[in-house]
Amino acid sequence: MEFRSALLASHAKPGQFLMVHLGERTKDPLLRRPFSIHGIRDGDKVMILYNVVGAETSLLSALKEHDTISVIGPLGNGFTLPRPSERAVLVGGGVGLAPLFFLAQALQKDHGHTVTVFLGFPTSRQVVRIQQLKDLGVNLSLTTEDGSLGIKGVVTDLLDQRLGNKGTTKPVIYACGPPPMLKKVAEKATAFNLRSYVSLEGYMACGLGICLGCAVKAAHGEGKPYYYVCQDGPVFPSGMIDWEVL
Amino acid sequence: MAALPDLSVDIGGLKLKNPVITASGTFGYGTELTPFFDPSLLGAIIVKGLSLRAMPGNPPPRIAETPCGLLNSIGFANIGIEAFIEEKMPLLAKIKAPIITNIYGHTVEEYGEMAKRIEQVEGIGAVEINISCPNVEEGGIAFGTDPDTAAAVTQHVVNNTTKPVIVKLTPNVTDISTIAKAVESAGAQAVSVTNTILGMAVDVTTRRPKLANIVGGLSGPAIKPIALYLVHKVVAAVRIPVIGLGGIMDYRDALEFLLVGARAIQVGTANFVNPKTAIEIVHGLTDFCSREKVSNINQIIGGLKTK
Repeated sequence: MEFRSALLASHAKPGQFLMVHLGERTKDPLLRRPFSIHGIRDGDKVMILYNVVGAETSLLSALKEHDTISVIGPLGNGFTLPRPSERAVLVGGGVGLAPLFFLAQALQKDHGHTVTVFLGFPTSRQVVRIQQLKDLGVNLSLTTEDGSLGIKGVVTDLLDQRLGNKGTTKPVIYACGPPPMLKKVAEKATAFNLRSYVSLEGYMACGLGICLGCAVKAAHGEGKPYYYVCQDGPVFPSGMIDWEVL
Repeated sequence: MAALPDLSVDIGGLKLKNPVITASGTFGYGTELTPFFDPSLLGAIIVKGLSLRAMPGNPPPRIAETPCGLLNSIGFANIGIEAFIEEKMPLLAKIKAPIITNIYGHTVEEYGEMAKRIEQVEGIGAVEINISCPNVEEGGIAFGTDPDTAAAVTQHVVNNTTKPVIVKLTPNVTDISTIAKAVESAGAQAVSVTNTILGMAVDVTTRRPKLANIVGGLSGPAIKPIALYLVHKVVAAVRIPVIGLGGIMDYRDALEFLLVGARAIQVGTANFVNPKTAIEIVHGLTDFCSREKVSNINQIIGGLKTK
């Protein structure tokens, strides 16, 4: 879905997120939900991408044109963009595509980078936003676990096939998706000695650094036990996270 | 234009310009929500609970939403009292509302040690003792469920500070009045009623508890009727002021607590949903009093009609 907010659209950076609520009179669902900013359209329209999985998303999908919602944002750090000489490889699992689309949009349009996008879905039925990605002009590869569309397998298989090549310039990896996928991305990045950034989700009540709900275990030697997704993230260099317990 | 209603209240010698206080653990270290409103406009600010040394908190998941409620097992993640005094207190100097520190100790002695340290800090208006945190293994709720231990902790703190001492009570007891009376006798100048109610939630697909800690504390609108009842009960049992909290989302909720007899109220979980809740309640109370021709909020406090 998309909503109009010129202020938000002008401040938002790829990788940042929003806390969305249907209105402050709603007691059930009680809390706001975090959503990655999916992209900006026409200068003042902010997009979010979600699967209808619970009460909040059902209510969101029932909204009609001209309804209003309450949004706090943009929140969080956002992606560290690659240097002009660097290649960007975006790796998304399912609805983890959400923040990567905005990143692709920014890199391709504003920074003239060549962007490679690897996307994985369980089956062709879950595949979304492919045409819009192609329209951006990115170099897109698709996997489905059952082979119903694109290459059969999981998205991280592509990392082995495409990043193992010697001779090409080293890419920077940007990933968002389910934790097991991100863990694999982090392992590959270490194996190929690549810089990689992961965008994490966390159970959070506020998104503002107050509730301390969205803790993720920091990697050993980081000097602190936990990071907070809303404040320290949601984007982390993959080496900062303890993947054994995520 | 008629004069604005007087919303000021007195909590054990601590003067508040209005009865609206932010609850511990829901307003950070006091300055995080300044982009949303000026905290100086509130009655007081209770900052994130502090322990003698920094605590990492519990493993995630630490929170889960339930109908009209929030289950949490944060586990007292905090930076420790020294870091708070050195790093956070200077930032709080600009806030023209009393700062109340919420303290938690592993032992009775730790409570006293912290009170002694806070006594030296200018700008801290009062101390709220946490003997009701359900999310830590030792101390916390263990001190709050036994009247003798609750009294011992209170006395230890009272002996080490000249600042007003507020004791935050747990609802997870058979008779909250007994605990309230015990801490009153031990010298507490006020009590906060109530901390979270122990609860659980289960993911049926994974068959796992939704909190890594298995159990947590329930807050939010789901607990408001229980909190109101407990305030009603404690107000009848003690003479010291009672600060009411539990599921307050707007000024009407606040009024319910005041009518039942709470001298002030705390806003907790609502800060997460709408960071402006506390200031909106101040404005809502002002408008309500003006509308109802109430010149002083004390005319509402305890005004519940039962006949």
